Amino acid sequence: MALMITCPVCGRRNGYEFRYGGEDKGAYPWGQDMDPRQWAEYVHMNSCTAGVQKEWWYHRDGCGSWFTIFRDTVANVEVENPEERT
Amino acid sequence: MFGTKKPLWGPQPEQKKHYDAVLIGGGLHNLATAYYLAKEHGMTNVAVVEKRFIGFGGAGRNTAIVRANQRTQENVPLYKDALDLWPQLTKELDFNLMFNNCGNVNLMHSEAAMKAARMNVSTAQFLGVESHVLDAKQTKELVPALNLSQDITHPIHGSMYHPPGGIVRHDAVVWGLAKGAAKLGVDILQQTEAQGISTRQGKVTGVDTSRGHISTPKVMVSAGGYSAGIISHLLGLKLPISVLTIQAMVTQPLKPLLNHVVSSGAYHVYCNQTLKGEIATGAHMDPWPNYTTQVTARYIKHQAEALTEFLPCLRGVKFMRAWGGLADMTPDMAPIMDGNDPLDGFFMNCGWGYFGFKSSTATGRYMAEYMATGECPQRLRPFTFRRYEQHKLMGETAALVNYTPDN
Repeated sequence: MALMITCPVCGRRNGYEFRYGGEDKGAYPWGQDMDPRQWAEYVHMNSCTAGVQKEWWYHRDGCGSWFTIFRDTVANVEVENPEERT
Repeated sequence: MFGTKKPLWGPQPEQKKHYDAVLIGGGLHNLATAYYLAKEHGMTNVAVVEKRFIGFGGAGRNTAIVRANQRTQENVPLYKDALDLWPQLTKELDFNLMFNNCGNVNLMHSEAAMKAARMNVSTAQFLGVESHVLDAKQTKELVPALNLSQDITHPIHGSMYHPPGGIVRHDAVVWGLAKGAAKLGVDILQQTEAQGISTRQGKVTGVDTSRGHISTPKVMVSAGGYSAGIISHLLGLKLPISVLTIQAMVTQPLKPLLNHVVSSGAYHVYCNQTLKGEIATGAHMDPWPNYTTQVTARYIKHQAEALTEFLPCLRGVKFMRAWGGLADMTPDMAPIMDGNDPLDGFFMNCGWGYFGFKSSTATGRYMAEYMATGECPQRLRPFTFRRYEQHKLMGETAALVNYTPDN
């Protein structure tokens, strides 16, 4: 089963139209005094969650939007926001 | 009939209360580490803890290709050591690993790629690894089935030929190493999940498994695609790793056709003909993190299109099986091997992407030395976890293409 992703502009589309943009690590740390270790943490390090994670996607072969979704990395399917569900 | 066969590594042992070292993950890296810990360092009170069965992950899902034509001077010697070990281990383990050094032919499809091949070959020759640049005509002499037509998507300009590489029977390596390690006293605990690593004052003190607590001063995590998740989940230590699904498949058996491993970066294809006559071929990865090993029609179609362009005699041949595995990719396409940092007694060997098979035996040997002596062997020093915060990324671009989700 191929991945389907919901673009906020174009709706639910084939996952191969999109480019993965990384785990959601919060806002870019503008103006914060960061040492190299903290930068490496922000730039390179991942949680590698086996389960639901929040992540960035880019609609490369579509409207060009950047947005976040929740996806189950074990089943490889988009899921609803788990916080909203509870 | 099959039920009466006993495993080569004996019956499942009881989990002991104490081990001198616990290795999490029952794949090739840990089986090799356990084997060399026992054989070369006299550490026989060692457990290999595996959630499913040995060889479940990358060890049993790769396309069996081995080679030492990587790009960087840090990587090449490690893979060369591994290449030199196959014939030696076949004797030592008294188990036929079916090493067939048929050579690897990397097709190049542009002048830029030929330039990259010349750089790679220079590095290889400098480090004593045989590797040559071939033009299109010489490549065709090696692989007569190749299509040199200009009328395909990526016409062939030439290739990089690496004679000492080839293929090794991957399951045989798992079974051979398990047999060797078990014979020396290592406990291979299958269907045993590592659920926690206990620490006190910055030191490892034990491992909790689904069979109970083990006290141990040394733990290594080397569980292929699952390593980063285990380390982040059990210790809260995040790694620069993305885990992607990679797919492979085999065709129906054919008469002898390919005498080499043939790969192409531009087509995202690598293939070899197995001893059974099947063409085993690997695809590239879905460029987003995944823990699924499911296969998709997309890659079956892609492989068929790509293979039949440069090997047109494969038109009409059917794929028999397809499978998926996990690859833990780092941003610099090089692994992370480190120990006693940030925790005393904690070792990790991960981030191998889809190269872990080729290097498993040599890496296991070095990691065993590291665990036994506490001193990091010279070969492994460049692969420290701290290289990311020091901004000393490796640039191992001999990989077919950059596959990480960062591209």
